[in-house]
Amino acid sequence: MDLLINLAIILGKSLLLLVALLVMIAYLLYADRKIWAAVQLRRGPNVVGPWGLLQSFADLLKFVLKEPVIPAGANKGLFLLAPLITCTLALSAWAVIPVSAGWAIAEINVGILYIFAISSLGVYGVIIGGWASNSKYPFLGALRSAAQMVSYEVSIGFVIITVLLCVGSLNLTAIVTAQETRGLAHMIGLPWLTFLNWFWLPLFPMFVVFFISALAETNRPPFDLPEAESELVAGYMVEYASTPYLLFMLGEYVAIVTMCALTTILFLGGWTAPIALPPFTWVPGVVWFVLKLCFVFFMFAMVKAFVPRYRYDQLMRLGWKVFLPISLACVVIVAAVLQVMGWVP
Amino acid sequence: MNAPFVMPALGPILPELVLAVGALVLVLIGALRGEKSYGLVNGLAFVVLALAAAALVAQPAGKVLVFGDSFSVDGFARIMKAIALLGSAVALVLSVDYLRRENLTRFEYPILIVLATLGMMMMISANDLIALYLGLELQSLAAYVIAAIHRDNVRSSEAGLKYFVLGALSSGMLLYGSSLVYGFAGTVSFPGIAAALQGQSSLGVILGLVFVSAGLAFKISAVPFHMWTPDVYEGAPTPVAAFFAAAPKVAAMAMTVRIFIVAFPGIVGDWRQIVVFISIASMALGAFAAIGQRNIKRLMAYSSIGHVGFALVGLAAGTAQGVNGVIVYMAIYVVMTLGTFAIILGMRRGDTYVETIDDLAGLSRSQPFMAYAFGAILFSLTGIPPLAGFFAKFYVFAAAIEAKLFALAVIGVVTSVVSAYYYLRIVKIMFFDEPAQSFSPLTPALKTVIAVSTIAIALFWLAPAPLVSAANAAARSLF
Amino acid sequence: MTQTLPNLLNDYLPLGIFIAVSGVIGLALLIAPFAVAFKSPDPEKLSAYECGFNAFDDARMKFDVRFYLVAILFIIFDLEVAFLFPWAVAYGDLGWAGFWSMMVFLGVLTIGFVYEWKKGALEWD
Repeated sequence: MDLLINLAIILGKSLLLLVALLVMIAYLLYADRKIWAAVQLRRGPNVVGPWGLLQSFADLLKFVLKEPVIPAGANKGLFLLAPLITCTLALSAWAVIPVSAGWAIAEINVGILYIFAISSLGVYGVIIGGWASNSKYPFLGALRSAAQMVSYEVSIGFVIITVLLCVGSLNLTAIVTAQETRGLAHMIGLPWLTFLNWFWLPLFPMFVVFFISALAETNRPPFDLPEAESELVAGYMVEYASTPYLLFMLGEYVAIVTMCALTTILFLGGWTAPIALPPFTWVPGVVWFVLKLCFVFFMFAMVKAFVPRYRYDQLMRLGWKVFLPISLACVVIVAAVLQVMGWVP
Repeated sequence: MNAPFVMPALGPILPELVLAVGALVLVLIGALRGEKSYGLVNGLAFVVLALAAAALVAQPAGKVLVFGDSFSVDGFARIMKAIALLGSAVALVLSVDYLRRENLTRFEYPILIVLATLGMMMMISANDLIALYLGLELQSLAAYVIAAIHRDNVRSSEAGLKYFVLGALSSGMLLYGSSLVYGFAGTVSFPGIAAALQGQSSLGVILGLVFVSAGLAFKISAVPFHMWTPDVYEGAPTPVAAFFAAAPKVAAMAMTVRIFIVAFPGIVGDWRQIVVFISIASMALGAFAAIGQRNIKRLMAYSSIGHVGFALVGLAAGTAQGVNGVIVYMAIYVVMTLGTFAIILGMRRGDTYVETIDDLAGLSRSQPFMAYAFGAILFSLTGIPPLAGFFAKFYVFAAAIEAKLFALAVIGVVTSVVSAYYYLRIVKIMFFDEPAQSFSPLTPALKTVIAVSTIAIALFWLAPAPLVSAANAAARSLF
Repeated sequence: MTQTLPNLLNDYLPLGIFIAVSGVIGLALLIAPFAVAFKSPDPEKLSAYECGFNAFDDARMKFDVRFYLVAILFIIFDLEVAFLFPWAVAYGDLGWAGFWSMMVFLGVLTIGFVYEWKKGALEWD
């Protein structure tokens, strides 16, 4: 009986988080389009609902009512499996993300490793989709996308290692707590200036590398080569229509939000208030978390609006010849500094 | 609380360290200086091998176990390592001229030889199954690449690929056997396995032992896992074949001896059957299959299969005397093989290398030095007294007779006689057939190698004591 | 720090449920249009998209070997990262010996990296 109640509670929590997440993504999508439009001096979506606020829901309805086309030459099973994998995996990452102190669905002790694993599996959806379509653009797009995602995953891995060196635990909650209890603010004797404690300051180069790698990892502009319209039409999604397409897109946006959440947790102190004094501490942690997440997403959206697209060779050069050596060197430097100064946790 | 992390003692592995660090430095030099650096890297690789040999010689006598007993530095390891280093260094010397003529001067080649040598030294010293596998893979991976170093040549690529696929298969079998042994003995350490078995064998251990033997048999190219040998020797560039025939075989044989003698001393009766079978099959195949060969490299491949069979006779005895025989056999075999391959490398007309036996016709008239040296080596390979090859066979057969393996010894002598046919046929072709077109003059390096190996073989009977007594002491260190 | 197995399972049970729920949501979205949407397939609509042409040949064609090379390099470096994870977590207990051991490992990999860089394995002209 206890077990059943327990199960029901977990189920309820999971549903709650997923629904909240999806609604948030609906509005982040809307925000993305609005910001892009504003930079280009356009209005953006403004017809459905007041100021276009219901645009994303109208889109959802339209996708569901669209005719699902499966190309005659495609491997049907794989063709439908690919978007499902992409979306499910992207959503699964949220199981371990603590949105506030103790507010994680699964408080496992290898949280960051789990996210790292799940995000590297994401490449399967892309590859399977591109292969199963049996069409040239998707095939090339999938190849490009896969190479790009794996290239930047390496530097992301190294960045995570530097954070782990400073924390000494794989648990995401522990990573946030470490930024609350130790750091620069404590050293200068002003412990309430929590935002100085956060890792973005001591690990600033890593923060930058992580942010840019996150853009590449999620195929966001300026690294959206897999779907560069002028060359590859829509990359691995060319043959997709209706909700299979929606799932790909949803998966992509969930991955983006996951990356924003991860940036928040690893570098921006998670749910902690930037200044540990009232009135800041009256605001619940989850609000701070969402605010920080939205801030990072805003940066994602602005980059999309400002920065021209990279060429593929530049992209690979940046990943392998710039970020990889930098992040590798940073691992060494961080490890050495921690050891020399006796700051090892 | 966790135990403090302690740095292991690095003194006993100085030769291996020299090779490892040397290989890394050479990679850097090669990468930074580009494709033209072959000459420099090759010279430095030779220096690295020499330094490793010096470090090996300078090691104090006695037995040291390092890295949690997984790495054993003892008399047996030292003498086998010395032979392996010698084989690698000579292979390096032999390859310079060939690579230049064939336009294969890639700086990776000497580095891969150094890395393969490092792998061999680890194999020789490995005192548990994991260290053994690591060494084996390091050696094999380097060897796969060297076999295919002539990328634009179909046969070289084919040789590399065949070697790789079959090698991976045999590694798999070795691992599978190791996991069975580990499962039934509860440890991967060789002395630990011996202690756990307490002289009792179970079906699981025997099964594991069979799989391990299959993996080992592949590495020493013994029947029935010899199929790759002729193709790889023929396809790979000749100096590469010379390398494969010498040093890795010594290392693999050392590894085989150590695993059987140290890990399974209590169940000699069980593994002796396996070794005897492999030994007889190898000797027979080496003797009969070589008869039809016209290509000298293929012939040498079958000959090496046969010689491995002879060396295994010593192991089958399972005694210190038998191990002594194996060491002596491998030392002499390496010298003979390197001499033979130096002569094969001398079979060159202008810039083309020839490989058939008929090209040797009438060699005694055009190049008497080469013909007489090759004649001596061939007589020695046959095992005719008083040449070194005779002593090699004598020690293993004596050990077999001591251990009451009379049938094995008799079969060994018979196959020896059969193999005399194809060795002596070459002598006949060289001395009594109408001369073919003559070869270009030997390069100084080849001349030196041929001369040294021939002298060593011919005059071994004057002073066998240093090698035999050293081998004796080395063999005892295992028991 | 050691956990008993049931505790460990308790930690991971929510994870399984969460993945299942997200799978169900995805599946529901995937199936929905097949149930409700209007369908009228025709051969033109179902052919592969190739800018209006009929497909020239098989879409699963040869592709640039560099993609393959990237995959191999990725495996090497990703394994390296996976190897660094436990080291980073246990770094506090390892001290200087742990630092230098890992530096040797990273040094070897860096030499490999320099080699592949100089060999042009990272070039995408």
